[in-house]
Amino acid sequence: MTLFSRRQVLKTASAGFGMVALAGLLGQQQAKATDKAAPNPLAPKKPHFPARAKRLIFIHMNGAMSQHDTFEYKPQLQKDDGKPGPYGGILAGSKFKFKQYGDSGAWFSELLPNLAQHADKMCFLRGLHTDTPAHPQATVQLHTGSANAALTRPSMGAWLLYGLGSENQDLPGYITINPPPNFGGAVNYGSAFLPAHFQGTRIDDRGNLPNLRPQVARDAQRKQLDLIQAMNRDFAAAPGAPDAVEGIIQSYELGFKMQGKVPELLDISTEPLKVQEAYGIDNPATASFARQCLMARRLNEAGVRFVEICQPGWDHHNNLHKGLINRCGSIDQPVAALLTNLEQRGLLEETLVLFGSEFGRLPTSQGVDGRDHNITGYPMFLVGAGVKRGFTYGATDEYGIKAIEGRMHTNDLHATLLALMGLDHEQLTYRYAGRDFRLTDVAGEVIEDIFA
Amino acid sequence: MTTQGHSKAIPLIALAGLAALFTASSLAAAEPDPAKIEFFEKKVRPILVGHCYACHSAETKPAGELRVDDRNGLLTGGNSGPAVVPGEPEKSLLLKRVTLEGKRRMPLEGAQLTEEQIATLTTWIKDGAVWPTLRVSVSVGKLNPEYEQLKKEHWAWQPLTSPKVPDVKDSAWPQTDVDRFLLAGLEAKNLKPVADADKLTLIRRVTYDLTGLPPTPAEIDAFLQDTSPTAFEKVVDRLLASPRFGEQWGRHWLDVARYGESTGPSRNIPYPHAWKYRDYVIDALNADVPFNRFVLEQIAGDLLPAADDAEANRLRIATGFLALGVKDVNQRFKIRFIMDNVDEQIDVVTRSILALTVSCARCHDHKFDPIPTSDYYSLAGIFTSTEIAAGLRNQMGGSGLAYYVPDMLVRLNGDVPPADPAEVERLQAEVAKAKKAWDAIRGTPEGLKPGPNGQPVQRRFRLAYERKLAELNALSDPAQRGLAAHGVRDAKVIADTEIRIYGEAEKLGPVVPRGYLTAFTVPDAKPVSADQSGRLELAQWLTSEQNPLTARVIVNRVWAHLFGQGIVSTVDNFGVTGDVPTHPELLDYLATNFMADGWSIKNLVRQLVLTRAYQLSSVSSPEAVAVDPANKLLWRHAPRRLTAEEIRDSILASAGVLELTRPDGSVVKEFQMREIRDNGPEAKQIHEAANASKHRSIYLPLLRGLTPKALEVFDPVEQTLVSGSRDTTTVPAQALFLLNAPFVRKQSLALAERLLSDASADDADRIQLAYRLILGREPNEQEIDRTSAFLSEFASAYVDNVVAVAAQPLPEDPEPNKADAAEIIDPDQADQSGVAIAEEVIRPNDARTAAWLAFVQALYASAEFRYVR
Repeated sequence: MTLFSRRQVLKTASAGFGMVALAGLLGQQQAKATDKAAPNPLAPKKPHFPARAKRLIFIHMNGAMSQHDTFEYKPQLQKDDGKPGPYGGILAGSKFKFKQYGDSGAWFSELLPNLAQHADKMCFLRGLHTDTPAHPQATVQLHTGSANAALTRPSMGAWLLYGLGSENQDLPGYITINPPPNFGGAVNYGSAFLPAHFQGTRIDDRGNLPNLRPQVARDAQRKQLDLIQAMNRDFAAAPGAPDAVEGIIQSYELGFKMQGKVPELLDISTEPLKVQEAYGIDNPATASFARQCLMARRLNEAGVRFVEICQPGWDHHNNLHKGLINRCGSIDQPVAALLTNLEQRGLLEETLVLFGSEFGRLPTSQGVDGRDHNITGYPMFLVGAGVKRGFTYGATDEYGIKAIEGRMHTNDLHATLLALMGLDHEQLTYRYAGRDFRLTDVAGEVIEDIFA
Repeated sequence: MTTQGHSKAIPLIALAGLAALFTASSLAAAEPDPAKIEFFEKKVRPILVGHCYACHSAETKPAGELRVDDRNGLLTGGNSGPAVVPGEPEKSLLLKRVTLEGKRRMPLEGAQLTEEQIATLTTWIKDGAVWPTLRVSVSVGKLNPEYEQLKKEHWAWQPLTSPKVPDVKDSAWPQTDVDRFLLAGLEAKNLKPVADADKLTLIRRVTYDLTGLPPTPAEIDAFLQDTSPTAFEKVVDRLLASPRFGEQWGRHWLDVARYGESTGPSRNIPYPHAWKYRDYVIDALNADVPFNRFVLEQIAGDLLPAADDAEANRLRIATGFLALGVKDVNQRFKIRFIMDNVDEQIDVVTRSILALTVSCARCHDHKFDPIPTSDYYSLAGIFTSTEIAAGLRNQMGGSGLAYYVPDMLVRLNGDVPPADPAEVERLQAEVAKAKKAWDAIRGTPEGLKPGPNGQPVQRRFRLAYERKLAELNALSDPAQRGLAAHGVRDAKVIADTEIRIYGEAEKLGPVVPRGYLTAFTVPDAKPVSADQSGRLELAQWLTSEQNPLTARVIVNRVWAHLFGQGIVSTVDNFGVTGDVPTHPELLDYLATNFMADGWSIKNLVRQLVLTRAYQLSSVSSPEAVAVDPANKLLWRHAPRRLTAEEIRDSILASAGVLELTRPDGSVVKEFQMREIRDNGPEAKQIHEAANASKHRSIYLPLLRGLTPKALEVFDPVEQTLVSGSRDTTTVPAQALFLLNAPFVRKQSLALAERLLSDASADDADRIQLAYRLILGREPNEQEIDRTSAFLSEFASAYVDNVVAVAAQPLPEDPEPNKADAAEIIDPDQADQSGVAIAEEVIRPNDARTAAWLAFVQALYASAEFRYVR
C-alpha cells in the first residue's frame, strides 16, 4: 500500500511542485502507471537509466529497399553473377557501381552519392532478421514488435511516450509523417491497449494536422475560448467536480497554442532558401521527401520525442533498375541534408536516427529485373546519439542471404533502441488482460557493442 | 501470444513419455530409428534446403501454398495435394514434380536434382519419410501442482452463494436490498452516503445511462412536474421501452464483442454483412432476449432449431460474434491462419463471457490462473471443428478478390430463385481452368518476360482469371442477392485437436479431447457431442446456472456501466491477476437473482437504477474521501465522461438534427471483399458518409483502422480487442476537435439558426433554451449576463474573414507507385496513392448568427457537457 494515491500525488504536483519533482515521482511509478484520469500523463519521466539519446527519428523505407543495390556490397555476389545461389535461384549482382567512402571505407552504390558522404557517422546493423516475409506483418512487427494479428500491440513510439513522456508540452510527443495507408495502417502508430494519449499524431507530407486550422479569426476564437474557460472554471469549482476538469482547461490552452505553433513549426518556407535547396525542396523529384525530412528536423528540434517519416514504393519485384534510380533519387539528397543539418545544429548529440526497411531483398533475381523479399539477413543503419561512428555490427554470408554474425531479431533491435533511450525493455511493461506486456514480447537482447 | 521461431529452449524430454497423460494421442509413436534420422539429416534435409527452401519454407513465401521445411507441410501439401505419402514414393507429388519433363519441373530456377538426389528422396519416402520427432517441454500436459490450490482458493470460480441481506444500522436509508449491502459496507467503515441527487441531475443521468442521449426539455419538465412517488420509476420504464435502449446497451456488447466491419491490421478487407450482426445485437437488447439465450445464439445459433426462415436467419447472423474478429488473411500458412482465428475466438468467448484470459494458455500453461494448455486445446478442438464462414481464406499476397470465397459465407434463407446449376457448373469449370493457367505462369521467368505491350506476359492470365471469377460470383454469390452473413458453421471434419508446442501451429503435441475449462466444475454440463463441433454444449456449459462465472461477469458489466466501476473493477479479468470484488456478497446476490429472474438485462438495469445508491448525488465529502478516495464503497455517485458516441449523438440530438430511424445497413454493404487502404477511394467514401450521417453513432461505418472523424478523439473503442471499459483521456486533440471540426461547427450553426428563427423569443429565452437542450439545466442569471455580453461583443467585433482553409497548393510530386510501377507482379505490392477528402467550411450568414454559433459551440466545448453527474 502506498501512502498517496497516484492521483493525489499528481494533483499536488500540478498544484505546486515543479516538473522535476513530478518527473522523479513518476519515474518510480511508471511501471504501474495505469490511472486513466491522471492529469498530464505526458510530463517528462525519468528513464530507467541515463539515456544515451533523448529523441529518435526513424526514416522508414517502406516496401523493402534493395540493400544489394544500395549499401550492402558483396564482392562474391558480383563475381558469381548468373550462377545458381546456395538456396536456389540465380545470383544477380548489382548493376550499379559501388565504391568505398570515408575512413571507415563503407561501400555505397552510385544511387546514394550524398548519403555516402556520411559513411563515417553511420553505425551499420548488418545481421538483422525478422519473422515474416510479407509487408503487412513485417511492417507491423517493425512498429509494434509482434505480427500476431489476434492481439494488436502498442507501437514503439507509444511505448517511448509511455516510458519517457514528452519534452515539449505544447506539441504532440510522437509524430508520424505520411505513414503507409495499409500494411497495418494506424496500428503502426497506434497505442492499442495503452491510453490514447500515447498514440502517434499523423500528418501528411504537407504538414496538415486534423482540426488544426480555425475557421474563425484568432481574436474571435480567443473570445470564444474565454467563454468556454469561464464555464469550465465554474464547473471545476462545483462540489464533486470530476478530477479531469483541470486537465480539460489545460487541454484548451494547449490546443489553442498548438494552432499557432504547429503550423509555424511545419512551415518550412521560413527556412533559409539555402537550407531548403540543400534538402531538395525545389526539385520535384525530391520535394516530397525533402519536406518530410525538413519537418522532421524542425519537430525534433522542438523536442518531439519520436518522429517517423516514410517513403513508400521500394517493392521492386520488377522494374528494379529504373525503380531504384527513381526511389533513391527521391531520398538520397533529403536524407543526407537532414543528417548534415542535424549535425550542424548540434542535434545529433541528443538524437538518434534509424534508417531502413521492414526487411531486405534477395541477391538472386526474380523475373527479368527484380528481387524477392529476404527476412533472413538484411541491414539498417543508425546515426547520432549513443552509437559508435563508422562502425559495423553483424554480417550476412558471402552473398548477403543469411545473417551469420551479430544476428539481431526485430525484438533485439527494439530492446537496443529502448536501451539507447534510457529504458529497460524488460521493465517497460503495461498490464493488460491480466498480463504484463512489453514492446519486446518475451524476447529481445540489448546489443551493447554498438554503444558509443 | 506466440513469438514464432523465437522460443527459448527449456528442459526437454521426449514426447513419448507423456502420452499416457492423454486419453488419445496421435503422436505416441516411439522415437524413430536413429539411423533413419541420420539419413534424413545427412542426405535428405540438405536437398530440401538447397533446392526447395528458397520458395517453400517458413522464411519465404510458400509457393503453391506448399512448405517443405515441416513434415506436416509435406503431408498436407499445397494447392495440388499431399506432396509426400510416407511409404509410397509413386503417390508422392514431390517426386513427380522433380522428375517431370518440361517447364514445370521443380525447381523452376537453379540446378535440377541429380539422379542420386532423386534416389535419396525415393528411399526416404519409401522408408516412411522419417523426420526427427518434436521434443516437448516437460510442462506440457503435466498438471501444475499449484493449480489445485488455486482452484480451491480463488473466489471467482467458487460456486455462487446465496448471501443473506445484511442488517444495517440506518434502516431508513435503504430502498432496496442492494442498498442494504452497500450501506452495510459503508457503515463498517463509519461512512455515510452523501445526499440524494436532485431531480434534474437524476433525469440527465438515467437518460444517458439507459439511452446514451440527453433528456429533451419536455422530458425534463414532465419529470420535474411529476411529484408522485413513482415519478422516477415511470421515467425508467419509459427509457427501458425506448428503442434507444438497445442502441446504447447494444453498443456496450459490441465493445465486448470487438465488433468491426473489416478484418483489420495486415490487409484490411471489409465485412460487408457485419451490420446484420450489429442490428441483431441491438434488437436482442431491445427485445430483452434472456442473456443465457443471447450467449447461446451467438455461439451456436446455427445449431439451434428455428420455426421459420426469419428465425433461422436471425440465429445464423448471431454467430457473427465468432466470425467478425481480426483476421490476417495475408497469413502464408493455412494452419497458422486457422489456429490464429481459433485463438481469436477463444479469446473473445472466454474474456467476454467468463472474464478469463484463456488465450494466455496457447503457448504455455497459464502463469496465474489454473488453465493448463491442455484446456486451451480442448476448447480449440471445438473451434477447429467449426468453420469460420466470414467469406475469406488466407493467401500469401493477392490483389482484388483473391481472398474472397463466396462459399465461405453463411447463406441466409430467402425467396430469391437459385442460379441455374448447369450454368454455375460451366463457369466453375472455366474459373478452374483460368486459375490453373494463371497459377502455372505466375512468377515464372516466362510469365515475367515483358509482352508486346511492355507488361509482363502473365498479366493477361491474371486478368482472364479475375474476369471469369467475377462472372461466376455475379451468378452464384449469395452476397450479390443480399442473402449472406458472416458467421460460423460446423466443419466437415469434426475432431479433437493436438496441443501445439509453444503455441506454434505446426508443432503437434498430443491430442486432447474437446471439452471445457477444468478450473471449475459445472456439474450439469453435457459432454461434447461426437458428431457436432461441440459449440452447442460449450454454450450450454457457459450458460448453465451452475457455471460460477457467466452470471457474475455480466452482472458486473451492467453494474460498471451504471455505477462507473465494477464490483470487480477489472471487468474483463476475473482471474488471479484481476481485482477482487469490493462487495462479494452483493455480486453473488445479484448474479443469483439475475438467473432466477430469467437472465433479463432490462430487469437487472431496472433493479439497479431504482436503488437509492444509484440516485445519490455526485457531490464529494471530505470525510469519505479520507477513508475511501476511490469511492469503492459507493458513498457517492461517480461522475462519468460521455463516450465518443454519446458526445456525437448528443450534439446531433440537441441541435435537433439527429435521425432516429435505423439506416439501411451500412455504407460498407456496398463494398466488395477486397483490400482497402486508409487513404483510398473507399476510405473517402466511408469518411464522407460518416461526416454526412445524422444517424446514431452505432450505425456509422466502423471499419477497423478507419474510425469516423467525429469519434476519433474521445477514446473510441479499440476494435481489435475485447473492451469492457473505455479509456477517458484528456488531450488537446479533443479541444481542437470541439473548436475547429466542421462537424461541431455545422451542428452549432444548425442550432444557432433554430434559436434565432423563433421571432417571438428574446435573447434570454434563447440562451435558456440552449442551456436546457445542451446541458439539461437552466442557466443562472450570471450565466445569462455573461452570455449576453459575449454575444454582443463577439458580433460587434466579427469580421467575415475566414482564415484560408485550403492548404497552400504545392507542385504535384511524381506519384511514387505510379512512377515505377509496371504490372504489379507481387500481390503484396499495393497501391498507396491517396485521395483527398475536402474539408467543409462552415460559414454563418451574418455577425449575429456567427455569435450565436460561437456560443452554442462553447456549450458543446464546455467540460460540463462532457460529463454526466
